[in-house]
Amino acid sequence: MKAFKPSAPFLLLLPAMIVLAAVVVVPLLLSLYSSFTPFRLTKPETFYVFVGIRNYVSILSNTDFWWAFGRTVLLLTIALNLEMLLGLGLAMLVEKATRGQRILRTLMMFPMMFSPILVGFQFKFMFNDNIGLVNNALQSLGITQDAIPWLIEGHLAFIAISIAEIWSSTAIFAILILAGLLAMPKEPIEAARVDGCTPWQTFRYVTWPFVMPFAYIAMTIRSLDVARAYDIVKIMTDGGPAGRTELLWTLVARTAYSDGRMGMANAMAYFSILLSIAFTVYFFNKLAAARTQIGAEW
Amino acid sequence: MDENSSARLKRRLLGIVYRIGLFLAMLTICLPGLWIVLSSLRPTVEIMAKPPVWIPQEISLDAYVAMFSGIGKGGIPVIEYFRNSLIISVTSTIIAVAIGMAGGYAFARYRFRGKSSVFLGLMLTRTVPGIALSLPLFFLYVRLGIIDTHFGLILAYVALNVPFTIWLIDGFFRQVPKDLAEAAQIDGCTRWQAFWQVEFPLAGPGIASAAIFAFLTCWNEFALASQLTRSVSAKTLPVGLLDYTAEFTIDWRGMCALAVVMIIPALTLTYIVQKHLVGGLTSGAVKG
Repeated sequence: MKAFKPSAPFLLLLPAMIVLAAVVVVPLLLSLYSSFTPFRLTKPETFYVFVGIRNYVSILSNTDFWWAFGRTVLLLTIALNLEMLLGLGLAMLVEKATRGQRILRTLMMFPMMFSPILVGFQFKFMFNDNIGLVNNALQSLGITQDAIPWLIEGHLAFIAISIAEIWSSTAIFAILILAGLLAMPKEPIEAARVDGCTPWQTFRYVTWPFVMPFAYIAMTIRSLDVARAYDIVKIMTDGGPAGRTELLWTLVARTAYSDGRMGMANAMAYFSILLSIAFTVYFFNKLAAARTQIGAEW
Repeated sequence: MDENSSARLKRRLLGIVYRIGLFLAMLTICLPGLWIVLSSLRPTVEIMAKPPVWIPQEISLDAYVAMFSGIGKGGIPVIEYFRNSLIISVTSTIIAVAIGMAGGYAFARYRFRGKSSVFLGLMLTRTVPGIALSLPLFFLYVRLGIIDTHFGLILAYVALNVPFTIWLIDGFFRQVPKDLAEAAQIDGCTRWQAFWQVEFPLAGPGIASAAIFAFLTCWNEFALASQLTRSVSAKTLPVGLLDYTAEFTIDWRGMCALAVVMIIPALTLTYIVQKHLVGGLTSGAVKG
């Protein structure tokens, strides 16, 4: 009788599967279960009480939750689009440079080296209403006399957080799009110019289709950790003022660890997980499509 | 003649506009970081001054000295945090790279059923937001008694890094031509020998940069660490940074100095790997 002999790739992938099952999948199943209980950290016995979908119902009828959810989606939409545009612009600026391109490329990657928590701190410092660089500069230049309450007023705080988020992640787009631009053969551009294309047409119909897969790689990587914004918000405003910058993730953390309502927090966490998965799958499909579209050249 | 000179003028103007644009872009990128470094070297009085003091009057390393001279003086136990960060990051990086090499090799060299869905599945485990994952992990770790330990955090970070490490290493193995390993096998190597003597050295620099990337992820991680650690025995630097903001008066200078301490390893390592990193990401993903 022939013994069961697993295939090589299965064996090679086994350690990865085991670790991910132990640290990600099993805990998530546990949290799925506890999202159906009224579990509180202070009352361990509540872990075994089953309440069905009551947590989900109370979340869905909670306006604070919907505000946080909407705010999160808004932040991601604004940030991802602007990062993409700015990254593209930055990559094209650097690609044009004739001298010192190496240095420029290194400088361009600078924000990537900052951890989100540092980005948050750095912008908290710069946007400080009293001693921050931004207000000091505005006052010294005579643009305004008053201290602008960047992190104290709701809308301004949201803008400040978006700026921090964009500053930290534009580099990923820029660096990958630049890789695309540099890998691109020069003949098609010259051919387009000879055939009388305007610069805009050359960009739109020759450069952009070529660079697009690279932009989607950047999008996919970015969407893998959109929740990094938690670190930034946590340190800059901690969801304040009065919950005006509360994102899904800070709301989850507050419900779980400050209020101790684990069951409720797990139910919310599932919404944030679904949101992340939706973003990733969307860009992963875009990436696959872009890859097949341009596949012939590779 | 007239057309010529106007074209030349236009070209020169565009050149100047381009230079200014480039300069402004680079300034925006670098200024926040430089400001932190500068602030860490200035006395607190100058940072707090109203109207602002733009040109530093005196530069000193006092903040760094205070930080490394123990709890009483600097406020927070930076040395312990630094040690925790280092132990946790290095250990979990080594494990994640070992697992990632096996997985990456499987994706690069074998065809098997459901390959792309397995890949997507791996990536999806990475999308789970740290804070969402921290809830069940917190509960489990308390039960298992590994909360606030190095081991607990290392375990979590290995899982966090494996998917991305596989993606990167997969890309680097793809860049090594298949024929080389086959030639080695024809010459009498086993597959195992061919891997270690031919493919591994060629993919080496790439794997090193995947390792550095994994290291940086651990070094910078905050959401999980902030919930799974409680005390000096396991807190990492990013969590330590928060010690400064918990109080009503923020020691900006001390915080800036700690930020610089955190950023220096990251800066050096990223500089070393930048070239390979981009190559690995794009080849793994584009060549399919």
